[in-house]
Amino acid sequence: MQEFKSLKDIPEQDYFTGGSSTCAGCGPSLGLKLALKVLGPETIIINSAGCMTLLPLYPNTPLKASWIHNAIENAASTAAGARHGLDMLGDKDMNVVVYAGDGATYDIGFASLSAAAAKNERIIYICYNNQSYGNTGFQWSTATPYGSETKTTPRGKENPTGTTVVNKDMLKIMGAHRVYAATASLAYPVDFLNKLGRAKERDGFSYIELLGACTAGWNYDPRLTIKISKLAVRCGMWPLYEIEHGMLNLNKDFSELKPVDEFLNMQGRYRALPPNGVERLQGLINEHWAELKEYNGQRYV
Amino acid sequence: MREEEIPYKGIEGIPIIREPGNAAKVNRGSWRLVRPVHHRDKCTRCKICYIYCPDAAINWTPDGPEINLTSCKGCMICAEECPTGAMTEEKEGA
Repeated sequence: MQEFKSLKDIPEQDYFTGGSSTCAGCGPSLGLKLALKVLGPETIIINSAGCMTLLPLYPNTPLKASWIHNAIENAASTAAGARHGLDMLGDKDMNVVVYAGDGATYDIGFASLSAAAAKNERIIYICYNNQSYGNTGFQWSTATPYGSETKTTPRGKENPTGTTVVNKDMLKIMGAHRVYAATASLAYPVDFLNKLGRAKERDGFSYIELLGACTAGWNYDPRLTIKISKLAVRCGMWPLYEIEHGMLNLNKDFSELKPVDEFLNMQGRYRALPPNGVERLQGLINEHWAELKEYNGQRYV
Repeated sequence: MREEEIPYKGIEGIPIIREPGNAAKVNRGSWRLVRPVHHRDKCTRCKICYIYCPDAAINWTPDGPEINLTSCKGCMICAEECPTGAMTEEKEGA
């Protein structure tokens, strides 16, 4: 597939329509709209229960591709099954794509994801990461970053930092499965769609993690979805990189990161995070960024 | 499997959505508090509003963006991201 160079190269054909019941300014919904531009209508999307389950609700669907509603534990196994079925029918062109949230990826569905990745099934797994269990009201998941307030980790006198656990390094875990693993951002659609194009061509498992800004949970004005996604990349909260055969490639390299304060101040979930919490978070980001810079172009996992 | 191959196609009571993308007919315009307004004279056809619309409510025509107010939920990402100020907002019902 030809790589896109700028926004103008992105196809004008949409396989996603409006009228769904997601929030105004929903990040993950935008992610799926963009993904379908590359994947096309010959796609089976397997979805774990989550926010995106609300897209096709009988009798309406905003999709022009097939969709399987799935339990939260086993989207990857359903995808592997669908791929094997298609192989038996001799259908090589159909894309099998999982579109699941971070709760279904990091926590509940991790066993089936790990198995499918280890067996190197020919599927694309896209995780839309809104850093919480967004659909049930923003509870803590292992993707929630340090210092974020959630329904189950509220800020209080006893615990002023909110989430005290540091989130999992999922890319490293997936990279260690010796598959293609990459992060993507909505603010860099050309980078996201090129990664998806590469994943589509591959004869094996691909894992793409998309930061899906969540207006309701992160508590910001819906118009800022793209601004916040861009800032997350610029301040090192969400660096864009890919791991293939254990080798790291940093896609967006900056000589200097922006301070994280600007990113935090835009969102209600970080409101009243004490200065020592901000310092700790900045420390974690700097550590991760230094690690990525050190291993760029080399064996990472 | 193509639709004509579905064995239970003719059976009543089985929920099958026969038209892909039929949610486009659902009116989400009632969610809006503000609506985007496009100014053709300031537009440079950069496609940014079209790419970033989460509800595919902006269609791309050779003449530039075209806002579909049935699908637009009024998130105003288009107005926020427009580099030339060709997309502005207007209070709904004003």
